Amino acid sequence: MSQEMWLTLVSIAVGTYLIRLLPYLWMRKKLAKHENNETTPDLPDWLTVSGPAMIAAMLGSSLVPVHLTIPSWTATVAGLLATLLVWSRTRSMGLPTLTGVVVFGAVKVVLG
Amino acid sequence: MNTLTVTPDFSPWRQGLKDALPLFGGYIPVAISFGLISIQAGFSVFETILISTFIYAGASQFLFVAMVASGAPLPLVVLMTLLINARHMVYAPNIARYMDSDKRWLPLMHGLTDQVFALALVRLPQLPKAHRMAWYTSLGLLAWFSWIGGTALGALAGDTLTQRWPLVNEALPFALPALFAVLVAPRCNSMLWTPTLITAAALSMLSKIAGYPNAAIPLAALAGTIVFYAMKAIQPKESQK
Repeated sequence: MSQEMWLTLVSIAVGTYLIRLLPYLWMRKKLAKHENNETTPDLPDWLTVSGPAMIAAMLGSSLVPVHLTIPSWTATVAGLLATLLVWSRTRSMGLPTLTGVVVFGAVKVVLG
Repeated sequence: MNTLTVTPDFSPWRQGLKDALPLFGGYIPVAISFGLISIQAGFSVFETILISTFIYAGASQFLFVAMVASGAPLPLVVLMTLLINARHMVYAPNIARYMDSDKRWLPLMHGLTDQVFALALVRLPQLPKAHRMAWYTSLGLLAWFSWIGGTALGALAGDTLTQRWPLVNEALPFALPALFAVLVAPRCNSMLWTPTLITAAALSMLSKIAGYPNAAIPLAALAGTIVFYAMKAIQPKESQK
């Protein structure tokens, strides 16, 4: 790898780390100020909404199969329904996720 | 999102590992694909592993390798990969209130991927303050090592693995949407949150199908947030709970 390529790799790695770190430092500073004054920070609505909205967006994006075929979509819907069904009974994370993967894989095998 | 249960007598380290299992299942096959593609693009095994270790951001790593392979100008490569990762800016502020000012959190921010954030937002408030760092460290390390290990596997033997176990390779990544579904479902409990989350999920799905996979998540989340404000404005206060 050339020197320029190393520099590119380091720039992306440092940049990505800073994108994750700096907002944490900003928020901790804001929170610490309130902790010193023994007050509760007034977090903006957009911030508390953006977290769950991001996760929902990740859900939508990750549900799109690699191949947009009817068997793939059928397996996706079946896997999702199985996940939610098991979640509604167990309210846990592990078993619903595992069930979803197994049902998704089984439907893929059956439909080819 | 606080209806998932945590057993009272648990070790936060063990709980972190247990919660990371869907990430383990989801990361390995995708990391294998990355390792394989990176080698095909001309990077060595060592360089490929370094990329996964230090950038540690799936979508931007794929873009990085693809742009370099196509001969794109390197400053543009840096700009585009960082733009894709810009969505991570809202992650730490959302979970910082569940952390403290301990300096050890600083290096741990390297592990704040999409999936780790999604889990942390739900799980951290359920844990006692004293257990949060151990839980996050355990989860973050297993996820990171899965990504690095999967990349190494893909770089060394990706072709063989994907040919020998095509179904495993295809089915395991479903662990990620299944995990996200379990994290989103508890929130869908009011006329304020349900339309917000459905809008974000549906728009993200449509954007990806339309060929905009990188813009899908931030734009759909923004649209969901707008729907939240719209619903809040039109609904009486008592029905927003």
